[in-house]
Amino acid sequence: MEIRGVQIDDTFAEAFGMRGVRIIITAKNQKWARESANKLTGFATSVIACKCEAAIERELAPSETPDGRPGISVLLFTMDSDSLPKRVIERIGQTVLTCPTTACFDGLPDLPDRIAIGKPLRTFGDGYQASKMIGGQRYWRVPVMEGEFLIQETFGKAKGVGGGNFLILAESADAALDAAGAAVDAMAGTPGVILPFPGGIVRSGSKVGAKKYKGMIASTNDAFAPTLRAIAPTSLPAGVNSVLEIVLDGLDFRSIAKAMQTGIDAACREGVRSITAGNYGGKLGPYHFHLRKIMSGDLDDAPKADAPKPAAPK
Amino acid sequence: MSDRITLALRSPLERALDADAISPDRFATLGSREISALPLWDGRNSVELGEVFTVKGERSQTVVLEGDLAKLNGVGTMMSGGTLEISGSIGNAVGARMRGGTIRVQGSAGDDAGSAMSGGSLIIAGDARDRVGGALQGASKGVTGGDIIVRGSAGRECGARMRRGILYCSSVGAGAGLGMIAGNVIVSGAIGDGAGIGNKRGTIVALGGIAVPPTYAYACTYRPPHLSLMLLYLRSRYALSMDDAQLHGLYKRYSGDLAEIGKGEILEWQATS
Repeated sequence: MEIRGVQIDDTFAEAFGMRGVRIIITAKNQKWARESANKLTGFATSVIACKCEAAIERELAPSETPDGRPGISVLLFTMDSDSLPKRVIERIGQTVLTCPTTACFDGLPDLPDRIAIGKPLRTFGDGYQASKMIGGQRYWRVPVMEGEFLIQETFGKAKGVGGGNFLILAESADAALDAAGAAVDAMAGTPGVILPFPGGIVRSGSKVGAKKYKGMIASTNDAFAPTLRAIAPTSLPAGVNSVLEIVLDGLDFRSIAKAMQTGIDAACREGVRSITAGNYGGKLGPYHFHLRKIMSGDLDDAPKADAPKPAAPK
Repeated sequence: MSDRITLALRSPLERALDADAISPDRFATLGSREISALPLWDGRNSVELGEVFTVKGERSQTVVLEGDLAKLNGVGTMMSGGTLEISGSIGNAVGARMRGGTIRVQGSAGDDAGSAMSGGSLIIAGDARDRVGGALQGASKGVTGGDIIVRGSAGRECGARMRRGILYCSSVGAGAGLGMIAGNVIVSGAIGDGAGIGNKRGTIVALGGIAVPPTYAYACTYRPPHLSLMLLYLRSRYALSMDDAQLHGLYKRYSGDLAEIGKGEILEWQATS
């Protein structure tokens, strides 16, 4: 398969089950909502070392938020249910509670599986906190020096998908970055999907473990590193001098597949030789995103299982 | 099964009747004969519902009451679901101890509307007399959940001993929120004297000004974040008229009742904010 002269490899991206929340941050204006969201999603690129993966999903207009103020939607994922509350509580506690004018709400209110977030955070109020029941939901009012911080007591816990990906193989580093940037721009704001890496792009795709150093969880993907073409087994076609990867996490398979379709299409441009994807032979992750099926419009490849698997490196 | 059950008053009531049998969730499994046989009470004497109302429809959780029902008391008592539409005014204790569902009163309501309610919505298009959203006599707590909307004015002691829930009125008489344990009384207009006396943790929102009792102390002027959420909820769910200045404006916060534990509050909207 070719799109505008770019080869689409007959392969698939292998992804894993994750657990996630959607956090709605509102503030006096978009600036302060974004300030808080940027801090909340900082150092959250990969579960390998960050313990969670998070990014801004999209901006929200006042008409889309619970309190009628400008907002930001954030998705945060972990590899297991147990660690999710801890990650969410510590990040909201340090980055939303602390940020001027913000309030924090659950963005998945219809999910029956709930985790307590505002409930433990309320204790920052040292006994002066108060709760309000509004529309069947409990909220906590935590007194702070600025005034009050408002947070919903529980958040919906979703079964998500992490590690959707595709690799852009280009003739030059500039061409790879241009194509990856175009893909990220095209995917921006896709509901239910985030790109957790810097600017949505990864330059250091990895393989499981290491050849030389025992104990490494992940090490450089030497098969796609152009400087190693002459000294290590390579997967790079001739003429490829730079590779960038896009990694996607999402609330469901179809959302990721839709975003990949959009992103790959945008990445098929001058200077790009081919698009491929990372997988582990299909043995580790239950979700398989077949590039050619996705680019043919088939976005409904059902997962083989939806149970989370152990963390896999990106 | 019908899409609705209509009860039309045969002739004007001369005496008050207790009609706590009229509740949509109870009608859901009853045929029209069984509904007609339900008892209404005139003191110690009972009269069959079918002698007072013509009954159309059966086995439905949507019930419509037609006629001048100002002497019909206790309608919707302990209702747990369904919809009750009352085309005119209704007597005392409509929706008392209500647990769920929706009651809409197109006219006005008597005393004790929604008393000790724990869930659902009671919407009164006209006025409500005394103790709307209050407590049963002798009870330590009143309303523990649900929403009560009075588009007109309410009488004395509305929201007394409220524990949880939202009561919205256009204006209220004296003693609003008397002995509130928690919960919310929101008033868009005038508030009578003595509001919030004995309040422990409740919130009284005064959108139209208030004479703050001497047992409350001024804390600060700020934008309460929960209030925009609550007012937006009321505006969107019940089509109440509130402008953005009220949703996001400045409020004076008074803590009280300091003769009690003092964790309650009066939030007075600052129109110039």
